[in-house]
Amino acid sequence: MVPRSCLIRWKTRHLGSSIHPAVSFSRSLFASSQVYQTSWVQAVSNAEKVVGFPTSFLSLRSVANDEISNIAVYLKKLIGTGHPLITTAKNLVYSNDKTHQTRGLLVLLMSKAAKRESGQDILPEQRTLAEITELVHTAHLIHTGVINLNTPNANLEMGNKMAVLCGDFFLAHSCVQLATLQNLKVVELIAQAISDYSTAEFIDIIASENDSALDRWSQQMTLRYGSLIAHACQSTLILGNNVELIESGKSFGLEIALAWQANIEIQSFKSNANRADHVLSKLFPETPFVDVVANFQAVRDRHVNAALKLLTAFPQNDASLALGNIARALKC
Amino acid sequence: MTAFLASQRFAILFASHNRQLCRAYSGLQKCESLLFTSPPSLLFQHQIQTGVPNITNVATASANDKPDNDAMIRRDLASLYEDIRESLGKSQATLTPIAQYYFDGEGKAIRPMITMCLAKAINCHLNQTSSDMIEKQKKVAQVVEMIHTASLVHDDVIDLAESRRNKSSANVVWGQKRSIVAGDFVVGRAIEICAAMQSDPVFELITKMVADLVNGELMQLDGSATEDERFAHYLEKTFKKTASLIAYSCQSVSVLAGADTSLQNIAFQFGRQLGMAFQLVDDVLDFVATSAQLGKPAAADLRLGLATAPVLFAAHKFPELNPLIQRRFNQPGDVETAFYLVHRSDGLQRTKELASQYCDDAVTQLAHLSPSSYQQILYTLTHELLNRMK
Repeated sequence: MVPRSCLIRWKTRHLGSSIHPAVSFSRSLFASSQVYQTSWVQAVSNAEKVVGFPTSFLSLRSVANDEISNIAVYLKKLIGTGHPLITTAKNLVYSNDKTHQTRGLLVLLMSKAAKRESGQDILPEQRTLAEITELVHTAHLIHTGVINLNTPNANLEMGNKMAVLCGDFFLAHSCVQLATLQNLKVVELIAQAISDYSTAEFIDIIASENDSALDRWSQQMTLRYGSLIAHACQSTLILGNNVELIESGKSFGLEIALAWQANIEIQSFKSNANRADHVLSKLFPETPFVDVVANFQAVRDRHVNAALKLLTAFPQNDASLALGNIARALKC
Repeated sequence: MTAFLASQRFAILFASHNRQLCRAYSGLQKCESLLFTSPPSLLFQHQIQTGVPNITNVATASANDKPDNDAMIRRDLASLYEDIRESLGKSQATLTPIAQYYFDGEGKAIRPMITMCLAKAINCHLNQTSSDMIEKQKKVAQVVEMIHTASLVHDDVIDLAESRRNKSSANVVWGQKRSIVAGDFVVGRAIEICAAMQSDPVFELITKMVADLVNGELMQLDGSATEDERFAHYLEKTFKKTASLIAYSCQSVSVLAGADTSLQNIAFQFGRQLGMAFQLVDDVLDFVATSAQLGKPAAADLRLGLATAPVLFAAHKFPELNPLIQRRFNQPGDVETAFYLVHRSDGLQRTKELASQYCDDAVTQLAHLSPSSYQQILYTLTHELLNRMK
């Protein structure tokens, strides 16, 4: 059994967690629609049962490994500073019903979906890859959460310091885990995902002559979120030797990432009081609220449909059905 | 001949066994004699038989050889920085200047220099000439320099540094967030380049290096060591933060050249001892050089609350330093008191002596290789490193 890494679980976890009304995704606001939340959470929870792991699988091994248990100390220091990254840090240290490590879940589902024979199980390397995916995503969240301080502020400076260190730690740990896979193609793909999420921070969504604002949004989201999920899907199929499904898997990863992010934008736009500042207002300037929502829902649904179509290349089994359910849940 | 080789094998074995024993000891005195050399009699024998120079009377390369090889190294270094800038250039217009900021070739470039010279020395030793392999060795130097620089950018945010290499630090120019993310970008690209080398063992060494860098930084934050443990803690932190880069880098190029385990170990130990010496000299310079010479503020370590070797040695003579060390010099006047006491003690002298011992050991390792002009360059470099002023 491959040992799990990272964070101490301060509360015991149960398989098949009960549905919780509030789910948070990355750093955006809570989704507003009750229906959407319920069906997404349900789809994710059911999917977790299919691949047999507790939701929060970035679990701290018991204090056997000093370096890893140390990180919880630094994350807790961060929590104490009032830095904007508190929520992210709390979710990592105090895992609870709210935290679903969906990216890792997607990787495990993709691994299982590709198995043509019912007896085949997810490989230990694929589980390690799922963990690596979560580690890289976490490092991304933390590092992009560093704030620019123009005036001295001891607390926020400490928060930044902890953020840099914890993010570095997660990146370093993901590299060490990557080495255990003994597959340099996978290493290359994950490294590209790291370069890509970094590049995304430097893209300006304002439309230029050459492309529309929507194209630039797609480009930014592809780099920021799509690249990691797509490359992780691709990598797990490489590890599972499912060569014929690699292209479909990679594209599925990208489509689901864009659909997911589009849905997050829609839900936060609906619930946000200050709409003028929201990215959707910038993508569709001088458009009535209802039309903005409708336009972007169309974008989201295009990606969901594309994802579902790609899924048809996969064998029909619990895992591919679960992936379909997750995709469809985004359409609510 | 076999007896000589056997004695060398024994010397290495004894030295490494010594290290493991010493690791378990606490206490300043024992740690000082840690790590290095085989028993004096063996070393002396070795020097007589091969005429290996000891660090205090290093002969520089013969006048004929030096200019050519020097020029070749400089060309290689220039093209290394060009290659790095190119690999970071194909990206967003706002990212590129940050990513490329420290790769202008203005730094000391000590790590790539050591890596490439050692690579060439090992190639001579093993009679390896494949240009493909030489390209990969250059990539190792590139990857290590990229990772090292990214860690500097992150360190500057952590330390709230305002200048580096005689210019404003990246976080001052572009803000903390973009600097951190640009650092991640550089690391991502470096790992891609490393993967393209198609060598699993090299990749594993590079990941060990990355992990050691982060853990070294975490160790530096941790003030929990007791008085007895402090020096050992400092040495371990120094290995992780500084020497590991050079050690794994040297080992990697030896792996690419097809070195067996014992030669890899020699490469590793050479890099390691040189790296340790480098940091010790750095720690001395922090007390001795002016900010203009260093390109960054002096007495920076004390201001960050760090107790480096000079301070730890000084505390032996002035135990009143211990509470200051414990509280990381955070009271008004602590930094000044510590600075003054270090200069009054023999701390700087003892640190230099320790650095010299590490250099001696590095030279001993280097002497295992067949004579070559690159080996000579490394002898000179080791000597210059010990005596540098910035």
